[in-house]
Amino acid sequence: MDAISKPALAFESPLTRRSIIAAYFLVIFLALPLWWKTTSIERQGLPASRVSAQIGRDLVFPVRIALNTGPHELGMDRIVLDVQRQIEKNGDFEQNGLQLHVSNAATANDYQVTLRLGTWDPVIKGREVVLEILPEHVGIAAMQVADILVTLLMPYTSLWSSQAERIVSYSPRYRLAFTLLNEDATGDNAALSWDVRGALSAQLSPLLARLSVLHNFTIESQVQYHGPLAFEPHALQVAEKTEYGLTPEDLTVFVNSAQWTLSSSVSNDPVLHFIAFIPSSRHSPLRILDSDGSPTPSSAFILPQWGGIVIYNPESTGVAHTLAGRPLDAIFATFRQQLSALLGVPELPPHVQVRSNELAGVTDWQLDALVRRRAAENTASAQETLQSIVRLVAQIEDMPVGEDVKGDVENALAALDQTYSTASSSQFQVLAFASKAQSIASRAFFNPGMLALLYFPAEHKWAVYAPLFASVAAPLLASVIREAIVWRREKKAKAAVAPAADDRGHKAG
Amino acid sequence: MKRTSAFRLAIAFSVLCLTACTSTHSSQDAPVQQFFERHGGSGSAHTNNWAVLVCSSRYWFNYRHMANALGMYRTVKRLGIPDSNIILMLADDAACNPRNKFPGCVYANPGRHLDLYGDNIEVDYRGYEVTVENFLRVLTGRMDNSVPRSKRLLTDDRSNIFVYMTGHGGNEFLKFQDNEEISAFDIADAFEQMWQKKRYNEIFFMIDTCQANTMFSKFYSPNILATGSSEIHENSYSHENDHDIGVAVIDKFTHYVLQFMEGINKTSQASMQDLFNTFDPAKLDSHPGVRSDLFHRPLDKTLVTDFFGGVAQVEIIPPAPQDAAAGTEASESQSQTSLAREILDTFIDPSTLTLSWEQLNASSATVSRHHGGADVDYTKLIAAATESQVTPKTSFTSTLRAWVSSLLILVLISWAAVPRDRSSSKH
Repeated sequence: MDAISKPALAFESPLTRRSIIAAYFLVIFLALPLWWKTTSIERQGLPASRVSAQIGRDLVFPVRIALNTGPHELGMDRIVLDVQRQIEKNGDFEQNGLQLHVSNAATANDYQVTLRLGTWDPVIKGREVVLEILPEHVGIAAMQVADILVTLLMPYTSLWSSQAERIVSYSPRYRLAFTLLNEDATGDNAALSWDVRGALSAQLSPLLARLSVLHNFTIESQVQYHGPLAFEPHALQVAEKTEYGLTPEDLTVFVNSAQWTLSSSVSNDPVLHFIAFIPSSRHSPLRILDSDGSPTPSSAFILPQWGGIVIYNPESTGVAHTLAGRPLDAIFATFRQQLSALLGVPELPPHVQVRSNELAGVTDWQLDALVRRRAAENTASAQETLQSIVRLVAQIEDMPVGEDVKGDVENALAALDQTYSTASSSQFQVLAFASKAQSIASRAFFNPGMLALLYFPAEHKWAVYAPLFASVAAPLLASVIREAIVWRREKKAKAAVAPAADDRGHKAG
Repeated sequence: MKRTSAFRLAIAFSVLCLTACTSTHSSQDAPVQQFFERHGGSGSAHTNNWAVLVCSSRYWFNYRHMANALGMYRTVKRLGIPDSNIILMLADDAACNPRNKFPGCVYANPGRHLDLYGDNIEVDYRGYEVTVENFLRVLTGRMDNSVPRSKRLLTDDRSNIFVYMTGHGGNEFLKFQDNEEISAFDIADAFEQMWQKKRYNEIFFMIDTCQANTMFSKFYSPNILATGSSEIHENSYSHENDHDIGVAVIDKFTHYVLQFMEGINKTSQASMQDLFNTFDPAKLDSHPGVRSDLFHRPLDKTLVTDFFGGVAQVEIIPPAPQDAAAGTEASESQSQTSLAREILDTFIDPSTLTLSWEQLNASSATVSRHHGGADVDYTKLIAAATESQVTPKTSFTSTLRAWVSSLLILVLISWAAVPRDRSSSKH
């Protein structure tokens, strides 16, 4: 009761006390936006509905075929109809995104099929194929036309899985690393240098130029003088000479990655390795064995998606200062074959002949098929990437989504739309847009800012906040409640001042 | 006096609430995995191998963790994974530690028979670069453009990845550098992101730390095989000391794994099951775990070299002509037989090189370890993975619990505040 009887000091007045308490709350209130900003994650809204609308959207290439029967007795109108019917019967075209229109009027950029009577194998020239039909087979000419169209327009449907496996995944840029690898240059068998420029320009440049619509190539080459094998090749006696053999198991471990330095690591482009291996005199000649252990005539092999290796046994032993001329051309011809296999250039059926010689061994039919395949691949990959971005952002709640990611997703969608809209006009443009969509979608996925914050269970968050804020909140809230109670009692007391005085006076009395 | 006791009670009560809340999350196994289990192919469909080896602890007394990671490094390199495909993260440099009596060397056995550091080693992340963030960036590929190739995991949908981690850990976490930790959820999410972006074909996850098996308990992405050194509430122990080095040189689990690996060569046919069969709790003083429910191949058909080795598939190319002249001659003879088929390329015509791809395939089918798994239609698998909803984290219940406990705190606070007023008014 002493406290009440004492006169209140200035700072003990209820107003001061209450404003002090209010100041605490003001600070908290003002700090709230800061707290909110520093603890929240920027998550821009992604165009999820536009992305999900991409599902099941397939790239369809309209392909116009002009049938040309020439001045022959094959009924023109009938055969056009027959071919169209055969194509419609074969569902593969539709499945592979091809929409074939057969007509007898040729326009530019069309594929042409020329039918004539004869016995020769089909011949390809540019976008034209000349198909000769035996007179007794005229009845099934339409079927033969459809067959050749299947093999030329969709060469990938008949790929073996191992063939499909070796094709590298698409990249707009590749680095080709050529290595002349001497097993041991101190021995008798070695080549100290090679005319790599000459061989490249003679053997590879035409192919690279032809494929430049798809990829951009960077070339590097090196000569190594000591590249030991990690295993001992099997010695075998062939015609009273000692030869050395690589079993299929040996081939799988042929590349001694621990000791061979095969490419520089200056860029992040995928690298395709090509190695010309010269065995040392201790292991010469080195042959590739089949599974029975007998030598095969082959001297080269592919490691799927990695590169190719050619084993070169010089005809004469001794150290050659420069490897050039025919042996090198043969090596690089094999490299070219390996490169086109790795890049997925489809093979022509063995019976089809090529007439024109300016095409680096890749006909328009093959190149178009490759471009269509890569465009379809890129489109599918872009779609999948976009979908997985949307799905992951929904799934992982702490994943930040910045403005740049949103922009990339929108750009990728725009590029995808352009891909579809140009599909009817130009295949090369389709590929350009599809690869743009793919690379932008990938960039969005790999955006460094998208790294999800570390995962904290909700319990952890409360465990951090509770000791910190509960102890602060308790006195603050308690003081508010106490003030409220005091304030209410004061109000009551004020309201009861007059009657209370009466009462007191009465009792005293 | 009364107030303080009330607060003490309130805080004790809130702590109780919170500890009660930290019950374990329910299992997050995606229904997707059942789909994958049906594709029980026996061979792996990979064309390249990668390894991510992480030692997450620093300081000299953790010498054995560096030795663990380096032992794995040596093994995967010996078995054919090139340095360019190995991401080695060492949180400290034991080899150059001033307390190392054998500078530049790291040994994993008391006799110091084998220097693991050697002269051909490529540490991609070292010292303070080994952080949780960098590790997750390596996995997810979310890197700055300036990061060099050697620090990136450039994998694709044909890559088998071996992820090895060692350090000090606990229930669902692994400590990095004594100042941060990675949780099992982080790794699980990172693997899921890799799966979504098709950054792996299969992952083999191995971890040697205390309570290691908790680290792979949260995985939910398909095609992951995982093993750890010890169960929950169980320690993993070091194997042995070297008295000259003065510290333990290797952990038991890693020691016995490496011992098994020493018997493996590049063409070995030993299976993962063989490896797991060698785990002996009596020798390890802990119970190693294997998680294979996400993995769709039978373990006895899964080769150790599918993860520890380089890839083993080749295709033999049909023979090239002996020289360029032979090539053009052959084509000339063809041109004579057929109508106007002049092939006068400046270069060797490929049609003369290819005997026929059919013939090639006949040979390649026998040469390459033909993998049945290659026939798995990935697009379908992806579609299946997208269709089935991955079970979200049970965040709702934990949020609910959190709110309830905070409400309780508030109730306690008001209870603590109000009685004091009443008591003072009674005076």
